[in-house]
Amino acid sequence: MDASLFGALGGQLLGIIPLGDIVFYFTPLNLFMCAAALAFTFLIAISQTESQVEAEFGSLHDREVKVEKKEFKIRRFLAIVCGLATAGAMVTGDLFDFTLFVCLIGIVNIGIVAAVKQVDVLDAAYQYGLIAMIASLPLFGGASLILASAGTISLLQLVQLSYTTPMMALGSILVFMGVAGESGVAPFFATKAEMFRTPGSPFLLIIHLSSLLVIVRMIEILLIINKPF
Amino acid sequence: MIVPDVVSPVVVALYTPAIIVGIIAGLIGLLGIAVEKNDLQILILTDLVGISMMIFVCAVGTDLAESLVLPGLVVELAEILAISEVLMSREIRRNGKEVALIPLPMHMDMEILDTSPVVIAILLIAVGAFESGFTGGAVAGGGILFYVLSRTMRGVPSGMWEGIAGASGISWCLWLAGFMVFFVFPQYWLLALFLAAFGVFIKVAFKAGLIGVIGREEFKKE
Amino acid sequence: MKSLGRIWNALANPDRIPRLYAVMLGIVLIVGFLIPLALNDHQLYPKPAPQSQINAHNPLAPYDRGGTLFQERGIVKAQYPQFAPAIGEVTAYLSPIAILVKKTTLYFGTSIYSSPGGLIDEILYYTRGFDTVLESSILMMAFTIASWVALNFTMRRKED
Repeated sequence: MDASLFGALGGQLLGIIPLGDIVFYFTPLNLFMCAAALAFTFLIAISQTESQVEAEFGSLHDREVKVEKKEFKIRRFLAIVCGLATAGAMVTGDLFDFTLFVCLIGIVNIGIVAAVKQVDVLDAAYQYGLIAMIASLPLFGGASLILASAGTISLLQLVQLSYTTPMMALGSILVFMGVAGESGVAPFFATKAEMFRTPGSPFLLIIHLSSLLVIVRMIEILLIINKPF
Repeated sequence: MIVPDVVSPVVVALYTPAIIVGIIAGLIGLLGIAVEKNDLQILILTDLVGISMMIFVCAVGTDLAESLVLPGLVVELAEILAISEVLMSREIRRNGKEVALIPLPMHMDMEILDTSPVVIAILLIAVGAFESGFTGGAVAGGGILFYVLSRTMRGVPSGMWEGIAGASGISWCLWLAGFMVFFVFPQYWLLALFLAAFGVFIKVAFKAGLIGVIGREEFKKE
Repeated sequence: MKSLGRIWNALANPDRIPRLYAVMLGIVLIVGFLIPLALNDHQLYPKPAPQSQINAHNPLAPYDRGGTLFQERGIVKAQYPQFAPAIGEVTAYLSPIAILVKKTTLYFGTSIYSSPGGLIDEILYYTRGFDTVLESSILMMAFTIASWVALNFTMRRKED
């Protein structure tokens, strides 16, 4: 495929996967991030859950806390979906597609946090869910502001535009706010579940990784849209 | 002029007022969330914020905007589904009181559910199959919901649940297959269209049916 | 320094985070009143002027984008037409039942969403098909989470 069609994306374009209007593209940076997410997802998929030993009060006995197979299965499933969605968000070349990937990460994160049978953790999951719902306004609203102003939401076309209108800048800031709400605040709420050392904690790690990678990718998108340099 | 080169001036002129309305609606919702204390009220107010998002997207006024509204709507719906379930579970756990899973204003165990369900269910499913896609799925799902609610027989909820859920997952794969056929074998686009349309149909229909299984288990408990 | 510590402690409460987020988002949204907001009239997938197809008594209004079944493709202004080899075919397609309905009424366009074929299906399933795949995955995940919570926590509340 003709690489010059897509202009400079802050790195050598290694290849594209065209699916109609939605084009996945690979540059060294986002290919690396995608591979990191996939590798971690693979580790999650083959790992066993953590079982803990709790000391009992008033005696010298220990109590082993294990996760039921059922609970373990759903958490692993959601963690794998979260990892795959993170990998997809790294390489997608369409702004609206990116926001949908972020939404998928958000809802799966809610599920991973909510699969703990404790009132406090359920409360954290609920509050996180509220933020995720509010965040759909800046995510889709910001993307649509960019669409209205630029006439396209393909990052490969946005990078070629020679101008940035104030509306596009506002739109990109709104998308950033949305990403912060869907995925950026996730570690805060995940800590709530971790603090109690709930059995099965290892799957929570994917929340931290995905939020880190998505924020890095979001900054790359901000640079693509606003072109400060 | 079937497809114009530029967006018509009417839509361009309407864009700015529409966005202003969207921002105002969003601000009202956000203000409400910032001051409201009741958790359930906040959940309802987030819906207003979601409507403001829809105004932002619709204001663009192209066919593209029209198809982008659908993902936005579905994301809102999906999140409210998951979060309200979490809220209910939390409240039940916190109060420790005995409450119904699906609170209903009246006793749902009615005579009519035993006497004339099958014809209505079949009719609804037939109409849904004719329509296909999201709309058809919703209509046919209503039919399955009605059928499942009305069966007097109890038991096998777990197996039935997993069976229906499995079929729903398979139809999701059908859809993915249809999507891939579009790009790998573009000459068979008609097959791909039907795989996609009926994949959605089966999926949406069975989801509504699953809600029926939960509902029946709840109100026939007594 | 003491007051800073108090602010951190207040933020550690999960209840306050949605409120804080809502306030911050509101401040960003107010910026929208200050900058010029205008629609760029060069858009993808443009629509004809509102009501023009209805006034022309077109049964497919407002979704008629040309094309005849299996002969001529409809007009679709996609972002990358070169990546969609069968572009316009789905737009022109109408199922046999849809053709029957179209002959009897002038308002078939209002329910074109609910039959296979037509412009919206072309965008949803083909040119932007991956969006729909993601969207249905989001719905599936939400349903998985809700039903899991319902079956394991809410319904079995008596067991623990």
